[in-house]
Amino acid sequence: MMGRLLVALLLGLCASLAWALEVVATTASMGMLVRTVGGPQVRVTVLAPPDRDPHQLQAKPSMMRALRDADLLVAVGAELEAGWLPAALDGAANPRLLPGRIGYFEAAAQVPLIDAGQPADRARGDVHPAGNPHVHLDPVRMSTIARALAERLARLEPARAAEYRARAEAFARTVQARLPAWRAQVAGSAGAVLYHKDGVYLLERLGLPLLGTLEPIPGVPPTARHLQGLIERLQGRKGVVLYHAYQPAQGPQRVAEALGWPVQVVPMEPPADADADGYLRLIDQWVAALALAR
Amino acid sequence: MHTRFKALAGALLCAGLITPAHANPELEALRAEIAQMKRQYEARLKELEERLKAAEGQAAVPPAAGATPQAGADRLGALSSGSAFNPQISVIFDGVYYRDNKRGEGPHLYEHLDGINHSHGHAHAHGIERGFNLRSTELVFAATVDPWFDAQLMLTVDAHGGVELEQAYFDTRSLPAGLKLRGGKFLSGIGYLNDKHPHEWDFVDQNLPYRTLLGEHGLKDTGLQLTWRPKTGRLYTLLGVETLQGQDQPYASAGLTVPAVRADGLPTAAGNGGTLDGQKAGPRLWTAFAKLAPSLGDHHALQLGAWGGWASQHQEVHDHSDENPGVACGLPGGKCLHALQGKSRLWGLNAVYKFDAAGAYGAGDLALMAEYLHEVKDLKIAFHERPTVPVGAKRRFTQDGFYVQGVYGLAPRWQLGLRYDVTGLTNRVDGPAGRLRSWDDSSRWTLALTHHFSEFSRLRLQASRARLAVDGQRERPNELWIQYQHSLGAHGAHKF
Repeated sequence: MMGRLLVALLLGLCASLAWALEVVATTASMGMLVRTVGGPQVRVTVLAPPDRDPHQLQAKPSMMRALRDADLLVAVGAELEAGWLPAALDGAANPRLLPGRIGYFEAAAQVPLIDAGQPADRARGDVHPAGNPHVHLDPVRMSTIARALAERLARLEPARAAEYRARAEAFARTVQARLPAWRAQVAGSAGAVLYHKDGVYLLERLGLPLLGTLEPIPGVPPTARHLQGLIERLQGRKGVVLYHAYQPAQGPQRVAEALGWPVQVVPMEPPADADADGYLRLIDQWVAALALAR
Repeated sequence: MHTRFKALAGALLCAGLITPAHANPELEALRAEIAQMKRQYEARLKELEERLKAAEGQAAVPPAAGATPQAGADRLGALSSGSAFNPQISVIFDGVYYRDNKRGEGPHLYEHLDGINHSHGHAHAHGIERGFNLRSTELVFAATVDPWFDAQLMLTVDAHGGVELEQAYFDTRSLPAGLKLRGGKFLSGIGYLNDKHPHEWDFVDQNLPYRTLLGEHGLKDTGLQLTWRPKTGRLYTLLGVETLQGQDQPYASAGLTVPAVRADGLPTAAGNGGTLDGQKAGPRLWTAFAKLAPSLGDHHALQLGAWGGWASQHQEVHDHSDENPGVACGLPGGKCLHALQGKSRLWGLNAVYKFDAAGAYGAGDLALMAEYLHEVKDLKIAFHERPTVPVGAKRRFTQDGFYVQGVYGLAPRWQLGLRYDVTGLTNRVDGPAGRLRSWDDSSRWTLALTHHFSEFSRLRLQASRARLAVDGQRERPNELWIQYQHSLGAHGAHKF
C-alpha cells in the first residue's frame, strides 16, 4: 500500500516536473491556442468561463491565484479584458506578466484590427479605439496569432522552439485546408444580424456582410426603437439573426420573427478545455448558422 | 515598388564597382548597408502586403510547411487607448438629491452619533442640504513611473472648489515572490470596504461602523504597506502589514496640547496640573491583515479576512464647555475640559461572497458582504480641570459594530441592494472601578435601487430608516437619496 502510494507520489512529482511552462489564458479560445501551440508540456488555466460575456467579468481572487505563479499570460487584448484583467494582475503581483514584458502576450496586437483608430468617444458606446477585439472568430488571424505565440513560447523556452513552430504551422495548415469548404458552405448567404459586433471578423473572412447589430451602440442593450429601425431597414431582405446564450433572447427573437428570418444561438467561445478541433467545431457551428441566411 | 528598389540597389552597386579596389573596407560597409536596406525594405513590403491582403478580406497564404515564421512577428505590449495619454486621467462626478423627515438635520445627526469617537461640535459636516447637492468630484491620475514603480494620485474637489489630496502613492512593479510595496498616502488594505472609493460603494453613504469607528473615509494615512501573496495551492492568500504615521485618526492622533482657552472663551483652569506628552516619533500606527480566498469554480467567489491595528500614541481633548458656556468647571452646571492619552487597538473580521449568474449585464448576480469592527482605546487622564481627578486614572473606551449587505442583479443593468448596519453594540467607557458611562447603539436599514446606463454612468435611488442614538436621545431619521455617478476618461478596472 505504502509502496503504491509512493509510486503515485513519484509519478505526480514527475508529471509536475514535466510541465515546463505555466500559462494563463484569458478566454477559452486563447486557451485553445496555448494548448495547440504549446502541446503537452504547457499547462493552461483559462480565466473567463466560455459562457460569460468577456466584457462583463469581475476580477476574482481565483484569477489572482492563477496569475500569481504563471510564466505567461495570453490575453485577447485591445481592451477586451480592461474591466477585470488589470485588477487581477494587480492582485497577483507577478512582475513577469506585466504588459510590455515577455510574459504578457496580446493576441490583438499580432494582427490588423477592424475599426482600429476610431475616436475614443463614449457617445458611441463602450468602444475600443484600439480596434474591435473579437479577433478569435477569424481562423486565419488565429493562425497568425498562433505563429506569434509559437515565437513567444520559443523565446521563453528556446529548447522547444522547433516543436512550437511546427505546431503553429500545423494549425495554420488545418485552417487553410478548411477554408474553402467553409466558403462553399456559406456561398449565397445574405449575411447576419449580430447582437454585439463580435462575429464580424468571421463574416469578413467569409466575405459576408454584417447586416446590423441589435445593440444600438456597443455595450448598450437593444432599445425598442433601434430594433424597430433595424426591422424596417431589413424588411424584405434575407439573413439570419445570431446571438449568444448570455445575451437576452427577446431582441433577437423579435427581429427574426418580424423579418421571417431564422434565429440561432451560437457560442462565442469553444469549451474551456477545447483543443484545435473544438475551436474548428465552433467555426463549423457559426458557418452552419450563417448558411441559413438564404 | 520592387523595380524601384532594384534600380536603387543597382545604382549603389555600380557606385561600389567603380570605386578603386584599395577601398575594400568601404565597399564592404556599403555592401552591408545595401544588404540591411534590402532586409528592411523587404520586411516593410511584406508588412504592407499583409495589410493589403487583410484589408481585402482575403485569406493570407500560409508560408511553406516547416518554414520559420518571420522573426519579430511576435509583438510585445498591449493595445490600449488609455496609454495614449500618460498619465491616464479619470474623473468621477457624483451628485445627489436629498430629502429627510428631520428638516434636513439627517446628515448632521450622523455626525454626532453617541460613541467613543463622539465629536464635540468640530466635526466637518459634509454640508448635504435638502435638494440638489454636488458631492466631491474625484480626479485620478495614474501612470507607470518606470520599470520599477507605478504611481497614482487622487484628488477630490468639493462643490465649493476646495481641493483635498485623497491619495498619492507609489507601488512597486518588480518585486519577486508575490511581494508588493506601497508608499505614500493611501487607503489602508484592512477590511473589505476600506480601500474602496465612494464610487465603488453599492450605497450612497458610508456604513455606520466604518463611519463611527474609522471615520467617514475609512482608514487613510501616510506610510508604507507591504503585501505578500504566498504560494498556497488553490487558495489565494494575501498578507499585509502597514506602518503608518497615525495622524488625525479618531483612535490615533498625536501632537495635541491642552488648550489655554476653552471653547466657551474662559481660560482653562489649572485643574489637576497634568499635561499631554509630546508627540512621539512616527510611525505610530501599525496594521496587519490577511485575506483568504478558496477557488470555488466559475460561479462562486468567497473571501474571508481578518485584520488588526495598533496605535502606540493617541491623544484626545474633551471640551464640553460649549454645552453650558461661561460657567467654569467646579461651579454648579459647569462643564470641565479634560485630556486623555494612551494607546488604542482595533480589529475586524470580514467575509465576501459573490455569485456570478452568467446573465446579461449582471442579471442574477449576487454579492453578499459582512464586516465586524471592534475598537478599544486604552487611555489615561493626562489633564483634568477638576483637581480631584488624578493624573493617570485609567479610562478604557470600547465600541464595536457590523454591517451586512447584499446586492442582487434584478434584471440586466438593474441592481437592488439591502443593508443593515449597526454601531455601538458595545459602547462604553470603563474606569479603574468599572463602567463609567455607556451609550445606546445606532442602527439602520437601507434599500438601494441602482440602474447602470452603461459601465460609466449610473442612477441610484436609496431610502433608509434609522434608529440613532444622538446625545442620549433616540432619533429616527428617514432619508431619501437620488444619486448619479458619471465616470470619464480612462476608468480603471475594479478590485474584487
